[in-house]
Amino acid sequence: MIRFLVLRTAGIIGVLLAVTAATYVIFYVFPADPARMACGKPCTPESLAQAREFLGVDQPLWVQYLEFLKGLVAGRTFGDGGGAIVCAAPCLGYSVQHHQPVTTLIAQTFPVTVSIAAGAAVLWLLTGVAAGTVSALRRGRLPDRAVMTTAMVGVSMPSYLVGLLAILFFGFTLDVVPVGSYVPLTENPVDWAFHLITPWCVLALLNAAIYARLTRSQLLETLGEDFVRTARAKGLRERTVVVRHALRTALVPVVTVFGLDLGALLGGAVITERVFSMYGLGALLIDAVGHTDLPVITGVTILAAAFVVVANLVVDLAYRALDPRV
Amino acid sequence: MRLRLGSALVALALTTTLAACGGANSTSGDVEGGQKGGTLTILTSSTSITLDPANSWNLAVTTLGLLDRRLTNWKVGTSGEAEVVPDLATDTGTPSENGKTWTYTLKDGIEFSDGTPITSKDVKYAIERTYAPALSEGIGYHRSLLAGSDGYQGPFDGKELDSIETPDDKTIVFHLNAPYGDWPWIVSTTSTAPVPAGKAPADTFGQKPVTSGPYAVESYTAGGDLVLVRNEHWDAETDSVRTAGPDKIVIRQGQDPAVEAQKLIADAPADQKTFGADFVPPAQLAQIQGKPDAKKRLVTSGPGALEYLALNTQSPKLKDVKVRQALNYAIDRKAYIVAAGGPVSADAASTLITPGIAGREDYELYDAGESGDVAKAKSLLASAGVKDLALTLIATNDATDVAKAEAIQQAYAKVGVKVTIKPLEQDAWTTTATGDDAGAYDLSLGSWQPDYPSAAGNIQPLFDSSQIGGGGYNISRYTSAAADELIKKALAETDEDAAGKLWAQADRTILGDAPVVPLIYTKNSFLHGSKVADFYIGSFPAYPVYTAVTLKP
Repeated sequence: MIRFLVLRTAGIIGVLLAVTAATYVIFYVFPADPARMACGKPCTPESLAQAREFLGVDQPLWVQYLEFLKGLVAGRTFGDGGGAIVCAAPCLGYSVQHHQPVTTLIAQTFPVTVSIAAGAAVLWLLTGVAAGTVSALRRGRLPDRAVMTTAMVGVSMPSYLVGLLAILFFGFTLDVVPVGSYVPLTENPVDWAFHLITPWCVLALLNAAIYARLTRSQLLETLGEDFVRTARAKGLRERTVVVRHALRTALVPVVTVFGLDLGALLGGAVITERVFSMYGLGALLIDAVGHTDLPVITGVTILAAAFVVVANLVVDLAYRALDPRV
Repeated sequence: MRLRLGSALVALALTTTLAACGGANSTSGDVEGGQKGGTLTILTSSTSITLDPANSWNLAVTTLGLLDRRLTNWKVGTSGEAEVVPDLATDTGTPSENGKTWTYTLKDGIEFSDGTPITSKDVKYAIERTYAPALSEGIGYHRSLLAGSDGYQGPFDGKELDSIETPDDKTIVFHLNAPYGDWPWIVSTTSTAPVPAGKAPADTFGQKPVTSGPYAVESYTAGGDLVLVRNEHWDAETDSVRTAGPDKIVIRQGQDPAVEAQKLIADAPADQKTFGADFVPPAQLAQIQGKPDAKKRLVTSGPGALEYLALNTQSPKLKDVKVRQALNYAIDRKAYIVAAGGPVSADAASTLITPGIAGREDYELYDAGESGDVAKAKSLLASAGVKDLALTLIATNDATDVAKAEAIQQAYAKVGVKVTIKPLEQDAWTTTATGDDAGAYDLSLGSWQPDYPSAAGNIQPLFDSSQIGGGGYNISRYTSAAADELIKKALAETDEDAAGKLWAQADRTILGDAPVVPLIYTKNSFLHGSKVADFYIGSFPAYPVYTAVTLKP
């Protein structure tokens, strides 16, 4: 187990290094000059040169990359003397658009994304698995048809449309939920949940559908297996057979998908955040793309990659717990 | 709201604003009085607010106008032209040496939000800060004007800029490189607002700035809320520009403009003390026409930022002035206005100086009618001996801009000129248009609104030969000794009326050479809730005057 963890961690670091290098190359050969944003108005050639030097983008690409890696572990300073900007480790760069280190921006926006992702994930996992189980047990009958039809609709809807419709209907027409804006959990937990309920439901509706279908098909398959017949033959109650034996096995692939989905979602629920006016990682990223704010783009991309990689690891560990055969 | 440099020409018009014709004024607004107190909410799609004045591009009347005072400020009303008025100083400045030296005296009883008195040293320090590489991002017209500033890197390592003198705590003297009549406007820009001398570090001051205006910053979250509360040390007696109605102002960022407009149209009790800082999107603009209640709360500006078609005078195909004049006659402004969102969003333009600015004269040099004078254009092209003219038009790849470019393409097709549209990413567009390669395009869409209400801000950046390439906005790459001379003379003139006449003369001289086709003056529409009062858009800029807004009980 220890050996497994060590190897996997080394692998993760390798993957992340590759991602940072690739991101760096892709975005920094992009025909945009990050110094232009820091240049002022009017932007004279002298002030542009000064801005380039200040941001360190006058250096060759590989030097910039090494500086970036160094900043991750040791922090870095932009400019020199009393007017310098200090970016403490782990420094992912300095955003000219926000006038803050990327790390600070991520720290400010991440709670928003976690709030959206965690609530939505719990909701969709519970409803998705429950619906899928009901569907499998009542196969071919009305509950099954109803669940699968709803799932089909959910899977095929784009989130921006559902989001806007939800705002329009529940926010404006019925006026039962607040429209947009995030309230920090620490400020007021009730308001926090109240503001998040619509995005949670929207995300859950779209994702639960996938989980319902997946749970259903897996459970049907498992219920037909020998060990389930054995369990029944032992005279176990049907409930125990389904929940303790069949469902547990059937959930292995569901957990895999869940881990990856959650990992990806933690990298920013881009569209949902935009529609609901919540400034999380996704909104931060989209915004940075619009403003060619390269340090933010690279920083968030790397973080999102890290979540996916770590989610993979967690999924593998969860396998061991769920499936006695692994 | 901070604008990014890369988007200067186009986004300036899109995100900031405009003004009204000196005579025929069409600005509107709710100017009945509210009272002191209450919490005002401002919704905006913007996701970052630059709170360090040195880095800010804010107009004097918007967010940082609430927070920071300057030596002078703008008096904008719904009629007449914008005027420069004293703010922290007792007057708008005393010139000497023909306008090469400007002296200001500070008022009594002015304090920062931390209770320390504002002295001339704080003004000097603030301006010195704008030379530091980390703080050079704001409006920096003063930077090249102050004498001996070459290579100056800011005050952080103890170096001072000798061309700013502070003989005592109340007096500040600026020594310029050359006579500059518009200096009173220059010291109204946000980046010259005072900060406490020696106590405003480059990296942290913007997180929790010490302010001089009627409000102080309570909290700021990136992409979230900016909360402003009263600055108890601000004395209304000393300030003739700001009314400081609300007790508290919450600027809520990251809003979807459509949702924002819907909220304001619905006018639910929680949203009545709210206004939107974004232009109302076309769909909601149409929706409002059928809703008398919402229509009452819609405020549309007069004609403002100029949109124009730059004709690259250095392109071999456009060297002949007759060809450029032909393109002026061939333009279909009606089609262009449709592409820009219809008459509610634009008025036809035929001159260069933005309405609402002193000195502006209205005239029409090339009468193209509503949809172009095809015969006149064709005969001019024929007399220039031009056949099969094929031109490349660069525009940003934004859907509206492409539609506008297509309107131009179709108009020119009627006179036998083939236009190829080359849509570019915003940043690539800026690099191409303001770069050094004169052969990269023949035509470009451009948009401009000055950073302060003076004709100098209209003409000099766009048509002075020193502004070609190297990041300059003379994207017509227009060179004229006569125009340069007029600009130089007008810049040096300290008498406002005389300067205005010179600018009007420059306007006509330049258009005589036809380096651009003036297209439209854009108009912006904003919505406010039913309990917002004194919400109006001045004749310049075409943006709500945040510093005047009050609330009804």
